[in-house]
Amino acid sequence: MNREPDFRELVGEDVEPEERERLEHVHDLLVAAGPPAELPPGLVDPDAEYAEAQTYDFLPRRRTGAVLALAAAIALIAFLGGYLTGQHKGGQFPAIRTVAMRGTALEPAASGTVAIGELTGGGNWPLEVIVNNLPRLPHDGYYEMLLTKNGKPTASCGTFVASGPSVTVRLNAPYNLRSFNGWVVTRHVPGTRGHPAVLTTSIA
Amino acid sequence: MIDDARLPAPAPRATIRSVATDDLSDGELIGLTAEGDGDAFEILYRRYARPMFGLALRRLGDRGRAEDAVQETFASIWRAAKSYKPERGPGGPWLYAVARNAIVDRGRARNEPAVETPETESDDPGPDEMAEKDWVSWRVHRALEDLPESQRAVIELAYWSGFSQSEVAEHLGIPLGTVKTRTRAALGRLADLLEELG
Repeated sequence: MNREPDFRELVGEDVEPEERERLEHVHDLLVAAGPPAELPPGLVDPDAEYAEAQTYDFLPRRRTGAVLALAAAIALIAFLGGYLTGQHKGGQFPAIRTVAMRGTALEPAASGTVAIGELTGGGNWPLEVIVNNLPRLPHDGYYEMLLTKNGKPTASCGTFVASGPSVTVRLNAPYNLRSFNGWVVTRHVPGTRGHPAVLTTSIA
Repeated sequence: MIDDARLPAPAPRATIRSVATDDLSDGELIGLTAEGDGDAFEILYRRYARPMFGLALRRLGDRGRAEDAVQETFASIWRAAKSYKPERGPGGPWLYAVARNAIVDRGRARNEPAVETPETESDDPGPDEMAEKDWVSWRVHRALEDLPESQRAVIELAYWSGFSQSEVAEHLGIPLGTVKTRTRAALGRLADLLEELG
């Protein structure tokens, strides 16, 4: 979990006691809930999956309304899921845990996953990072993935560039993961100030 | 005296069918879904896809399996919507029960060990604690879906990106006072929503 925000800093002092109590309850719930999961592309727009799937001969070609489309999409995706998963497993990164990343306010459309591989004998955690919708940066610009401690970027796991709508890179975390709270991807553009976060996650 | 038999038959009573909109409650949307209303189903999907995926991800520990579970759960909701009884309570807890059961069933159906957290030790939450966290996360993440984007951004940056209020202001390019106003408004709106959701 990231640094827990200070409730008093968030709402200030000029709040009626009853309202303060109500807001503080929500604050506690937000802290307890943790960050919402980032939806994988297949769940963001099931209708699109349906439309794509309609190219198969054995699937219905004509829509009979949004309701049937969505219901059919769900059934269809479930039906195809095994096949697609089976196809994917051949070259799959051997992850023991996968953590979602979501875009910050700077890149709200961005998303990603961090798949954590088995700890190697040498003390490395191999990572497969998939990022979506990060813009291509100007020449010499790059993204950096760092482990965070108390909400602050602390230890680098490597750098990468975004060359398309979805990029998969293999990185490494040569650290004791228990010492950290999550990851952040920061943007580095020569000639600009600061390295703002574009993706964040936490090890819940 | 007028002979009723010679009068024209009374016009059928006009009925106004509910139209699915974002203003409807979850329970009303489930009711419309039971009648085959695809728009209602899509609104439910938008409201609950993220909380449901989060629940599935926590329970199953794998994004692929969680994604499948969400798809199956919505198919279950579509099929089971007729069994929802509004008099028994709001729609949110009913949806949670359907989702939890579908996800738990999916976890049992696969005879696979749960994915382990790196360096897992005994500080893992117990079943009761996990159930409590599931329910809290479900409600909070559902409520977040109804926040205006401007308010949601400040909440997410403050709570889950580790940003101070000044950093939020800098990142969003808005005055610090606006950040504080939006944050307080967002917490108030969330309080209202959580009360409504039950």
